[in-house]
Amino acid sequence: MQKRNLRIAVSKGSLFNDAVELLGQAGLDTTGLANPGRHLIISNPGVDFIIVRPTDAPVFTTYGGADCGICGKDTLVEARLNVMEMVDLKFGYCRFVVAEPADMPGAAEASYEKLGVLRVATKYPRITQSFYEEAGVQVDIIKMHGNIELAPLVGMADRIVDITATGTTLRENNLRVVDEVLASTARFIANPASVRTDSRVRELAAKLEELTRDREVTMS
Amino acid sequence: MIPRTPRGFRDVLPTEAAWRKTITQAVSTQFGLWGYLPLETPAIELADVIGMASSLGKDSLQAHAAAEAPFRFFDSDSNLVALRPDVTIPVARVAATRLRDEKGPFRFYYAQPVFAERESTYGQEREFTQLGVECIGKGGYVADAEVLCVLFEALQAAGLSTFTVAIGTVGVLNALVRQASDSPEWHDRILQAFHKSDLVGIDLLTKEEGVKPAYGDAIARLARIRGGKEAFGACAELVAPLGCESDLEQLQRTYELVEENTHMGTLMVDFSIVSSFDYYTGLVFKAYAPEVPASLASGGRYDTTMAAFGRNEPAAGFALGLERVLAALEAQGATPPDVGPEQVVSDDDPKLMFAKAAQLRAQGVRVVLGGE
Repeated sequence: MQKRNLRIAVSKGSLFNDAVELLGQAGLDTTGLANPGRHLIISNPGVDFIIVRPTDAPVFTTYGGADCGICGKDTLVEARLNVMEMVDLKFGYCRFVVAEPADMPGAAEASYEKLGVLRVATKYPRITQSFYEEAGVQVDIIKMHGNIELAPLVGMADRIVDITATGTTLRENNLRVVDEVLASTARFIANPASVRTDSRVRELAAKLEELTRDREVTMS
Repeated sequence: MIPRTPRGFRDVLPTEAAWRKTITQAVSTQFGLWGYLPLETPAIELADVIGMASSLGKDSLQAHAAAEAPFRFFDSDSNLVALRPDVTIPVARVAATRLRDEKGPFRFYYAQPVFAERESTYGQEREFTQLGVECIGKGGYVADAEVLCVLFEALQAAGLSTFTVAIGTVGVLNALVRQASDSPEWHDRILQAFHKSDLVGIDLLTKEEGVKPAYGDAIARLARIRGGKEAFGACAELVAPLGCESDLEQLQRTYELVEENTHMGTLMVDFSIVSSFDYYTGLVFKAYAPEVPASLASGGRYDTTMAAFGRNEPAAGFALGLERVLAALEAQGATPPDVGPEQVVSDDDPKLMFAKAAQLRAQGVRVVLGGE
């Protein structure tokens, strides 16, 4: 029986270029992948690359839309889906941090003192909830979809939980980091059934492991 | 309102229902041929009974609540009850209570729907059907191999030709984890990482301060060992110098016995197989088909669960998901069973019509009564 092409979900955005380069180094035919234009699926001999939003890579991998994929640890923690986290690819380093307006020190504490609850804006409600649960702090989470930095500036939230690589965006918006939540890098993920039934997935994981084992962690 | 079913619950129309019935019968017959007897348990259990078998307790229930939890509610007696989330725990309860005075071993099979509360965005059913067996009162590798052979034959009886059964053991892992560190908190975290199949997290945890490097390294490499018989060599090399090989030997014997006695499907060793249920104590396994993104079946040995109900005996079993087996069959090109032709019987005299129809039914013909 002719096997169908291996399907790999590749996150577009900041991880994309490093991911494409690494997949090429692993011996996959990445022709046309670097500049896909409007194409969402790049089909080459033996492999289909599915170009997805970073948060959707675990979704495709869990539900069998892809056998495996590349996405950030951050999206994995937030998605809480049933994928196997196979290899740390060491690129796309970023941190989850808690930040507040730099010129209002003590304001968040005062608000917490008064209300007994902290208002936190974020794109990552689950990560935020579990971080504050472990810290024993009551939070009201405001889920946003972008430009989280705005929320404390307009008084909508006391603090934000967001991702930062260099901290530039935070500084430009006059926010300062007050806590570290977790660090993230790109991961090679795989569907549990694919790992057990498809040797190509196991071989790709081993190859990626070998390629990245001695690398230093980098930003993308 | 527009009448509908609750999310995740659905009606099954005749073509599919007939197919499900055929598979259930074929699999149940196979269970029966291995000496397993049918058992039925109630759809609803006391929530406390379900909780008794979980060693992780309440915290883990909360941790899993986001994705999956038992379906719970209060009945009119103000008891907190749960729709059965699996059948293993109810069967263990039966063996430990109503069969308290009977001598085992017991071999039971079941075919029952089970229920799970899931978030609306997970796109999964909340009611599904499990076909499974429990072998209570027998331990050791022979009983392990028996349960696995039953699984192979059940999948084959269902009509599947291509499937993989991956087996592992939590015994080796537990032994390594206990010796790697004295911190119970670290034990929890490393086992959680195995539960989540987070191999990167396992690597990081094994390199933490206070973890004995030799054991840490062995745990990290163990998670990546998978393959055929040769995987045992790789694993033995890893754990023998550390004195953790007792469970490994048992798994290898199981593997050899199963391999000799099965003729279809693929058997593989995979030490990253750790079920999301935390009651397994030795053998653990899952079955997969290449066409279905989730496991078709899962099971293992749960030697301490019976003790939680007051009957200290070893036990092992598995459940296969009827819906997933059906999905795999369809993807592998199987078609629904032919229910056979039906014959319309008509007569102006209803008495004669009934008599004719009875004659035909006696010959095994499907008849439909005609007329207005």
